[in-house]
Amino acid sequence: MFLYEEILAVALVVSAFLAVHFEDTTHAVISFGAMFTVLSALYFALNTPFAALFQLVIAVGTIAVFFLAGEMLTPKKESRQKLRNIVLGVVIAVALSLPAILLDLQADALMNPHNLSFFSALWEYRALDVIAQGVVILVLALGVATVLKERRKEG
Amino acid sequence: MSLLEVGVYGLVTKRNLLKMLISIEIIAAAASMNFAIFASTAGDKLGQAFLMLALSVDTAMTAVVIALVLVAYRELKILDIWDLSRLREK
Repeated sequence: MFLYEEILAVALVVSAFLAVHFEDTTHAVISFGAMFTVLSALYFALNTPFAALFQLVIAVGTIAVFFLAGEMLTPKKESRQKLRNIVLGVVIAVALSLPAILLDLQADALMNPHNLSFFSALWEYRALDVIAQGVVILVLALGVATVLKERRKEG
Repeated sequence: MSLLEVGVYGLVTKRNLLKMLISIEIIAAAASMNFAIFASTAGDKLGQAFLMLALSVDTAMTAVVIALVLVAYRELKILDIWDLSRLREK
């Protein structure tokens, strides 16, 4: 991975974290828009230009809708988030993005791209992502099962 | 992976419906990023096609959820997920 890709990866995680961390919805949506823009730039850097353009086009619509919804639904109150909290959020996000820099795709995948089997693609190159997404689906399934069980108890 | 962590953190800790939707979008972005990375690594354009499909589905889902959030706010003046779940008890 080249240096500018690493910078984009860190910027991506930081903007995503700030989108979740900001209490003000408008700030969160602006940070979310920045995340989409950085994501699109990262797609360009990964040599997938069509995906990058598509992501950018979709991001424009999504951000516009989020911005309108955020403005409409947020009550106007003056609650300023402390600068210390924001800086702390950025530091945590940078720490979270360290795996994006340290972990890398195995080089032999780039050497021999057409012999990539489904098994190795699933378990060798993006194993952590696949396992984590499996955990998310498992937790969702457990949540649904629990809700259904509670509902059945209630009658 | 880090994006996924951020999304799950947001989903677990935030109660605002819009923030939860942003977290879901972040998780979806993390998942669809796999396609771009595979397309880049394997040098195959099919990954980009799948990514576009995933993004389209994701955007449609966002539109539906935003509509639900707006209806919940318009009818019930509720933006908090706990308040929304307590309605069932009433």
